Amino acid sequence: MKYVLPVVGTVAAVSLFAITTANQAALAVEKPSYSDTFEQLDLFADVMARVRSDYVVEVEDGELIEDAINGMLQSLDPHSSYVNPEDFQRLQEQTSGRYVGVGMEVTQEDGYVKVVAPIDGSPAKEAGIESGDFITEINGETVLGLSLTEAVNIIRGKAGEEVTLTIARVDEEPRDITLERREVNREVVSYEIMDGVPYIRISQFNEKAAPGLEGAIAELRREMGRSLPGLVLDLRSNPGGLLTESIKVSSVFLDGGKVVSTRGRDATEQQNYSAEAGQLLDGVPVVVLIDEASASASEIVAGAIQDRGRGIVLGMTSFGKGSVQSLIPLRGGRDGALRLTTQRYYTPDGRSIQGTGIDPDLFVSAYPDDGEDHSRPSESDLPNSIENEDTAPEEGVTDAVEDSVDDIMIDYPPEGFEVTDDYQLQRAIELIRTGDYTQRLAELQN
Amino acid sequence: MAGLAGVSILAAGLAHSVWAAPTPDDAAYDKLRILAGIMAVVDEEYVEPVETQALIESAMNGALSRLDPHSAYIPPTTFTEQRKAARREYGGLGIEVVMEEGYIKISYALEEGPAYAAGIRSGDFITAVEGESVRDKTLDEAVEGIRGLAGDPVNVTVLTPEEGTREVTVMRQQVRGRAIRHRVEDGLGYVIIESFNNDRLTDDLRRAIELLQEELGGPLPGLIIDLRGNRGGLLTQSVSVSGLFLDGGEVLSVRGREDRDTERYHAEYGELLPDVPIVVIVSPGSASAAEILAGALQDRGRAVVIGRRTFGKGSVQSVVPLPGNRGALRLTTQKYYTPSGKSIQGRGIMPDLLVSAFDDTGELRRRFREDSLPNALTNADRSEYEEDYEAVIYPPEEFPRDEDFQLSQAIDVLKSDRHATLLAAQSDLD
Repeated sequence: MKYVLPVVGTVAAVSLFAITTANQAALAVEKPSYSDTFEQLDLFADVMARVRSDYVVEVEDGELIEDAINGMLQSLDPHSSYVNPEDFQRLQEQTSGRYVGVGMEVTQEDGYVKVVAPIDGSPAKEAGIESGDFITEINGETVLGLSLTEAVNIIRGKAGEEVTLTIARVDEEPRDITLERREVNREVVSYEIMDGVPYIRISQFNEKAAPGLEGAIAELRREMGRSLPGLVLDLRSNPGGLLTESIKVSSVFLDGGKVVSTRGRDATEQQNYSAEAGQLLDGVPVVVLIDEASASASEIVAGAIQDRGRGIVLGMTSFGKGSVQSLIPLRGGRDGALRLTTQRYYTPDGRSIQGTGIDPDLFVSAYPDDGEDHSRPSESDLPNSIENEDTAPEEGVTDAVEDSVDDIMIDYPPEGFEVTDDYQLQRAIELIRTGDYTQRLAELQN
Repeated sequence: MAGLAGVSILAAGLAHSVWAAPTPDDAAYDKLRILAGIMAVVDEEYVEPVETQALIESAMNGALSRLDPHSAYIPPTTFTEQRKAARREYGGLGIEVVMEEGYIKISYALEEGPAYAAGIRSGDFITAVEGESVRDKTLDEAVEGIRGLAGDPVNVTVLTPEEGTREVTVMRQQVRGRAIRHRVEDGLGYVIIESFNNDRLTDDLRRAIELLQEELGGPLPGLIIDLRGNRGGLLTQSVSVSGLFLDGGEVLSVRGREDRDTERYHAEYGELLPDVPIVVIVSPGSASAAEILAGALQDRGRAVVIGRRTFGKGSVQSVVPLPGNRGALRLTTQKYYTPSGKSIQGRGIMPDLLVSAFDDTGELRRRFREDSLPNALTNADRSEYEEDYEAVIYPPEEFPRDEDFQLSQAIDVLKSDRHATLLAAQSDLD
């Protein structure tokens, strides 16, 4: 049984989904090897019985156990969660990446909902919600104590209905913003010609990403002729999406060969994903833009292009989500599904980016070096995030890592440069226009 | 929320015998099946090996923390440690110390402690430990050298003012710590109760009051009980401490799920300090058992409460050991009510006199109280219960920053007719 998963804006901050088949065998709890599980379940049942009989007010058993399930999965990592039958049903219906909501990627921090990025063309974007904003209240009710899924479910609703979010921003008074929910169905690929250089932005890896990219290249060729002078591929604030799309997008730039490999608990069970033979953009210089909010599938694409020497990665170190979640239906979906971290992925050179992210070849900051903290949360900042097995603390090694961090040269915008003028993009365009690209790429490969 | 463990009022484990097998309804059974299914999948498919025990612990805490912030599962090892901590025993000399003029000053020597037996008394100084001067050390560093394994001797240089120094070797012992501090302040008795999580607190307090009377050479002209930052502790201790200052009558009542489950706690007859005026100082960090004491003395018209509105934790947790050394369950089983029948859950105790410890900076300080905790139990009494900010007394500009303004106000209340006025105002409200 296969489920095609949409990339739903508000469900999980940054998700990379593998399409999975249901492993019904795993659900056979009657297996004798689960005696430990039974013992633990016995303890659980005892505790629940106590709560039922002695708690200061009456409690609903079903809710209690659902809270237990969420508590259990949250303790694993920030990306594992339970999808109840109704939500699972909805997920299956949404094969196109469409959903009704306000259109933003969110995560949870300090108990509040934090905006990772608003989706282009969505009500959230139009209302001026920015990445890094905190949502402290929904319809006047605090979000404290809600799980991310619960908060998201309240934000979502029927098209045409309104929802009021209280937005807190550092150094600003909290304010209420009322948004009208609608179907969020924007194109995930946009393109433009900037100073004679083709520019393509992929904002998310749903099923429209690869076709959208191919379409944009066709349009650019129609406008500029068959041989493009170069391409700036913007993956900034792209939270990721489908694993399959990241491979298709990488294929546009690579002529066969490794893109990514995934590994489960058993390291021998490695799965390799390769690019299709033949590349659409043979010989065209490529600069990939990434930033702290480029996650998951974005990091696969940037990592593959970097490791394969196919282009220059420019910007800031990416988010660092190097794990793959599978959506595993429970009892054929009648009990909902489990979104579970089942694999890590590795770049063609075998690097894991879990918790570390992709370092760009050229560090270019969007913000001036004004001593203010412009950093955004990364995977390693999330509660219970999985550690990178490559950087497991070892005596002496940590020091070396810190030293190398000090050596990083960051290209900051000059004084007086407007952040809205997009310094990173300007540097990328310059790289292609001035012909420095070839030299820099050669330097990087040495 | 392990960090909040200190807030709990711990009633002794309920002696219920409801270990019947779970008989969940159908919906719960379905959910339980889902949970079991998820555990099996996680066990087999998760990217890393997972301990089943850790999984079920997070599951239990996931459920319990949604009930309220004080209910939790306590794993076996933590449970054992907590039981030890309630007895607060550590190896040392049985002295309470402060740093004064670069030396360690003994503020109190426990009479049953080894230092006391070696002739060290309150008011003495320790100038060196094992021949090494304590000058230029922080209090923590200095005390570090004094503490050690019980049975190991330690050599200290003791200075008794106007007598000179001498070397004393003291054998370290297991010493029970006090949860209180006492001293004479401006001719008045002053006791700080740091915690109610000490099963000999009432005895210690009674003894501290005797010592204060000895020091003052007669009955106390007034007593200040400082409960600032006291996060609570044992319910039984809050009742017996309240009983020291009340002549019989109700201290508090606790109520479970059913109203008929109400239990009432009464003070013993005869009070320790009849006619001695009492001021209780509270802060937003005063919680639970501290609120019971402040509430009882206020409701019964026995003391004037000053400071800021308290934390507002009006629920009682029972610690139920799970058979077979499987840890324990800390579960909210009751709410408690002050003698006038008010629940302090989410509301706290409102002082008779609002006194701020800090300058009026013009900004509203965000205070961390029970009702700011996620999933806190709500209070049925939803009437307005906010501090009257206009009425708050702030330290005047010339007041020295390193002095305690709330304490100085407490002294002033006891030494002026304000005490009588404030007590009279209390009864007007009833």
